[in-house]
Amino acid sequence: MPFDALDFYDVDSLLTEDERMVRDMVRDFVDKDVLPEIEHACRDGVFPDEWRVTLGEMGVLGAPLKGYGCPGLSYAAYGVICRELERGDSGLRSFASVQGSLAMYPIWDFGSEDQKNYYLPKMASGEWIGCFGLTEPDYGSNPGDMITKAEDMGDHYLLNGAKMWITNGSIAQLAVVWAKLDGVIRGFIVEKDDEGFSAPEMKGKHSLKASVTSELVFQDCKIPKDRILPGVKGLRGPFSCLNNARYGISWGAIGSAQACFDSAKEYSLSRIQFEHPIASYQLVQNKLSWMLREITKAQLLAYHLSQKKDSGDWIPEHISLAKMNNVDIALEIARVARDIHGANGILDEYPVMRHMANLESVKTYEGTHDIHNLILGRYITGIQAFTRETS
Amino acid sequence: MTIAVLLKQVPDTTAKITVSGGRVDQSSVAKWSTSPYDEYALEYALQLKEAGAGDLVAITCGPDRAAKMLTDAAAVGVDSMLHVVADTTEMDSKQIQSILAAAIEHCGADVVLCGKQAADTNSGSTGPGIASMMGAACVGMVSEVMVEGDSFSALRASSSGNERVSVSRPCLFAFDKASTELRRPNVKGIMMAKRKVIETVSASDLGIDMGESQVIIESHDSPPEKPPGQKFEGADSVQTVVLKLREEANVI
Amino acid sequence: MEITIIAETSGEGIHPVTEQLVGAASSLGGVITVLCPGGRGSDDASVISGVSKVISLQGDCFSSFDSGSWSTVMAPFSQGIVMASSSPSGRELGAQIASKIGVPIVQDITGIEPGYKVTRSVYSGKAVETSSLSSPCVVTLRQNAFEGASGGGSAEVVVVDNSSEVSVSVREAIAKAGERMDVSDAEIVISGGRGMGDPSNFSHLNEVADVIGAAVGASRAAVDSWDEIPHSMQVGQTGKTVNPTLYIAVGISGAIQHLAGMRSSKYIVAINKDPDAPIFGVADYGIVATWEDALPALKEELGKL
Repeated sequence: MPFDALDFYDVDSLLTEDERMVRDMVRDFVDKDVLPEIEHACRDGVFPDEWRVTLGEMGVLGAPLKGYGCPGLSYAAYGVICRELERGDSGLRSFASVQGSLAMYPIWDFGSEDQKNYYLPKMASGEWIGCFGLTEPDYGSNPGDMITKAEDMGDHYLLNGAKMWITNGSIAQLAVVWAKLDGVIRGFIVEKDDEGFSAPEMKGKHSLKASVTSELVFQDCKIPKDRILPGVKGLRGPFSCLNNARYGISWGAIGSAQACFDSAKEYSLSRIQFEHPIASYQLVQNKLSWMLREITKAQLLAYHLSQKKDSGDWIPEHISLAKMNNVDIALEIARVARDIHGANGILDEYPVMRHMANLESVKTYEGTHDIHNLILGRYITGIQAFTRETS
Repeated sequence: MTIAVLLKQVPDTTAKITVSGGRVDQSSVAKWSTSPYDEYALEYALQLKEAGAGDLVAITCGPDRAAKMLTDAAAVGVDSMLHVVADTTEMDSKQIQSILAAAIEHCGADVVLCGKQAADTNSGSTGPGIASMMGAACVGMVSEVMVEGDSFSALRASSSGNERVSVSRPCLFAFDKASTELRRPNVKGIMMAKRKVIETVSASDLGIDMGESQVIIESHDSPPEKPPGQKFEGADSVQTVVLKLREEANVI
Repeated sequence: MEITIIAETSGEGIHPVTEQLVGAASSLGGVITVLCPGGRGSDDASVISGVSKVISLQGDCFSSFDSGSWSTVMAPFSQGIVMASSSPSGRELGAQIASKIGVPIVQDITGIEPGYKVTRSVYSGKAVETSSLSSPCVVTLRQNAFEGASGGGSAEVVVVDNSSEVSVSVREAIAKAGERMDVSDAEIVISGGRGMGDPSNFSHLNEVADVIGAAVGASRAAVDSWDEIPHSMQVGQTGKTVNPTLYIAVGISGAIQHLAGMRSSKYIVAINKDPDAPIFGVADYGIVATWEDALPALKEELGKL
């Protein structure tokens, strides 16, 4: 039975026919391939390799990128893909976000022609997995002070430092790593077998369990000269990537929320207490009605943002608002859904606790909720409040 | 050499059906899908095409909304699409078959694949009726078909299991559920489908004068409510329950 | 009014549904002729009460099923209202005959009245359609929906030796595979829970399943408790959602997660020794008994059908 996603305002009718076909394709993948396996994947703490293969076959990786074997879809389609994947699991959507927005995008936008021709086709097909190294153990919200540095050794670069919280790190064939070269942040493509590079997996997560999270360690890591991304200098590089990934998350969170709403609705209609379905009680209806309200608003926000992305008429603050709001409501919806499920809500029979735990990460990564608040605060007042310095 | 696959759009099997004014209310159907058996026909039609048995045309007869199904078929690799726009809800079997037979002829197809029955009318008349009109060999309850030189080999259900049969062109295969995986489109296919044009015709464009339906639908009604659950004590009641399953519920 | 019945055969004899076809035809009043393809069951048909004539079709083409050639031979003998069983072969043959004599066909009817008003189930049983036939038609009848005619008749048997070119050649018969059907595909599912006590006891479910062609499922409790019961059998929230016409739950208490996977079954039978088990709340027919008592009885009763 295909998933009957909540779409109270029929927002998907605003999509083009091919965007809806892409939606149905990914929805079918999630129904048939992902949901039957997701709990096993979480229990084992693995990202099933078959999903990589199928994502590549469907041709959704790097969705909005054009040329070099990339799909060339609209940002609306990219959003829909993220939403449908995250309805399955945030870890699955994270895989696709990192591959497309954080690894393929910087090569596509800032790479040399040779780099694009060499890397992008095999990343679009899923043959190669990429990851993105920006965050460090001591520099999360404040990436500008990163320690990782590159030195020009004449015929190669030498990379030293460590990155942390890197999705796909241990399963990736390449990493786009941001490091300071003569004090300026630059992007480097590091390949799995490069000397001095290792990517140990981080274990023990209570969230995004079906996603691989790693450290990237560079100890006198030798990088050929042609692996620097020539097209960008400074934080603009990683931030451009993050804008695209955050945009995808603003859609993805809706998928998680839809899954939780659907489960809560079905459960409340079939759970009998005091001789009636709990859905017949006002306190439960209030919760469901609130979920519907927030999901509908989030959908309108995401759709409108997609149109701005596709027309080019957007600013990063637009994306901050959508990422912050949609993840925030999705997390709260997951918590309320868990509540409606009562004790059953903690079981892996239902998706709600898994989504809830996932969304705690999603709220934090790609710009924490609070950092997005500060981005908007700066936009409103013109005063930055990230640091104690006045500027 | 052309292969035709016949597709019918039906209310999704999970959709709620409401009756109002003595008819099933089509406008209240929340989700329309390709009839499930037709999907197996489509999958095998694609396999025949890939094996070089001919070009593949998808044909449907139905209202405007049925076009979506043809676009979906194009996304998985159908070469061309023919949509006979007509309201089939009050047609008798003869009328529908004459339209589809004319559509098949219009496309020049001599190999036809379809579902063994549609999920709305649950009949199973269309395939064999069309085979008769085309003078084609008819194989029903098919779960597999392969091209073998100039002929085709199919697996069909029989009273004692399965039979492998062979037929030559012209032929028609009516599909049961098969064990094969149904294919999913990909982005490339979807973008290609966008560029393929559906040929849209009416029954009269095909030169069909259907005449009057000889089966007049008097009414649709909701099925009778099931009686409330009944509980019996002891294994002796098994006999009673089995009898009720046969006579009351009519399920065994 | 003439009524022609296409006999449904089983092996070399007649299938009991043929008596039901004659019963339905008799209730309309009319001269009843039964066509026996391949001559199979001609003698059986001739003794069904109400049959006027049996035509035993002996042509070579009847040695294997080919609706095209069979209908070519049968169409000239198909007079008036033509009735067949709504079995897969009955439907196929009926549709071909209808096409060859130029009349419509209405399949799988569950009721017929004089003046030829017919009823049938449509939209997977979610609606009932009543139609009137303005000319002679072919109709196929649902098995067990009509009262069977009794024996004691003595119709004449006419042998006709016509054949037609066969276009479907059978190359190989393949016996039914021993592999068990998947619960999501089956029309009938019988599932066991932890109340079965031990995984080896699922053999009793298998035995019943074999009698009625059912698939065997399990609750999550059973799958989690016993390695011998694979996850592929699990029905419920994290297992498969099934939608069969008949679901038989044995030793399953009916946790909400199990109900989520099977409550849309058309008919539900529950067998449980605990009269307060929640499964009885969704069962159409509940039997309060141990599986040890109920399953042998169930196997025996179903075997009689």
